[in-house]
Amino acid sequence: MFTFIVYTVLFVIMISLVIFLIRILIGPSTNDRIMGLDALGVTLVGFIGVIMILQDTIAYSDVVLVLSILSFVGTIAMTKFIERGAVFDDD
Amino acid sequence: MALQILVNILTAVMWMFLQNSFTPATFVFGYLIGMLILIILRRFLIFELYFRRLWAMVKLFFLFVVELTKANLDMVRVILKPRLNHRPGIVAVRTQLETNVEITLLAALISLTPGTISMDFSEDNKTIYIHSIDVLDKDEMIEDIRNSFEKAIMEVTK
Amino acid sequence: MTTIEIVTSFFLIVGAFFTFLSAIGVLRLKDVYSRMHAAGKSSTFGMISLMIAAFIYFIPEGIINVKILLAILFVFLTAPLGALMINRSAYRTGVPLEENTQQDDLKEMYKDEKRESSD
Repeated sequence: MFTFIVYTVLFVIMISLVIFLIRILIGPSTNDRIMGLDALGVTLVGFIGVIMILQDTIAYSDVVLVLSILSFVGTIAMTKFIERGAVFDDD
Repeated sequence: MALQILVNILTAVMWMFLQNSFTPATFVFGYLIGMLILIILRRFLIFELYFRRLWAMVKLFFLFVVELTKANLDMVRVILKPRLNHRPGIVAVRTQLETNVEITLLAALISLTPGTISMDFSEDNKTIYIHSIDVLDKDEMIEDIRNSFEKAIMEVTK
Repeated sequence: MTTIEIVTSFFLIVGAFFTFLSAIGVLRLKDVYSRMHAAGKSSTFGMISLMIAAFIYFIPEGIINVKILLAILFVFLTAPLGALMINRSAYRTGVPLEENTQQDDLKEMYKDEKRESSD
């Protein structure tokens, strides 16, 4: 029963990931795509959490931490780039 | 305040070395001992204890969690409506908060509350522009933010 | 099912529901700013719920995984910031608001800047 619930949850999250991917593909603006990538990163972290339960291991906890940090840094870098044309401010 | 926390953490680390066991449980115990030492020595400290602020912070955190849950139930209502007839809008809210930390905190809190996301700041960092997914009553929304969040943040920082 | 499995499945189902809700919102809503509500709030909430489930599941085995809690804290801190940056850059690059937008207080602030850049 528990395994069934975990698999169902994985399936639902997988559909959500596909929908985010559709939003990234159809746009229409660059910001929509960045937003899709941001949501994709956050959801992927949750996905790995469910896989940790399924495989009964905590080996992926480092992956979770690094992925959440990378997703955030990527979002900030991309938004700053399209806003000003530069990632680092001079002032 | 920062110095006191540092002293407290240092006591906890020293306790860990003394016990020669590097587990979270030992750290927590050492931290509690550090708190006890700070309470005993409070008459010799020039500054006030930070526990009162810590308690305000814990209250702020729980406010945060409750508002986040309410925000998501609100999103359910907006997203699952068969016809999308919500009325979004951008509202300017003036704050009385002054330092950058306070304003950052307020912007973060607004972003995680029902139907609002902070969008931009004015030049003098006094006005926060908020995008709301459903503007029912503009003045009521502004009042709500002033009463609940600004007060809680001021309790922590003042 | 043991108690811990019931609690874990509760958090898993809540997390999956809000993740899916956020996906529907991202697909259905009409402009970037409204979509950010769905993407910023609901997916963060769903992810936090899923990570709490993972945290609770390993407690009976005697593992208290601090890294999972750190990940939750980190997403909690960064999600509003990411949302703010995406919305701000969208407004500054001129992504249009949807038609039935009620009011736009931000327009006045950028009026001067636009005039300067068009000259």
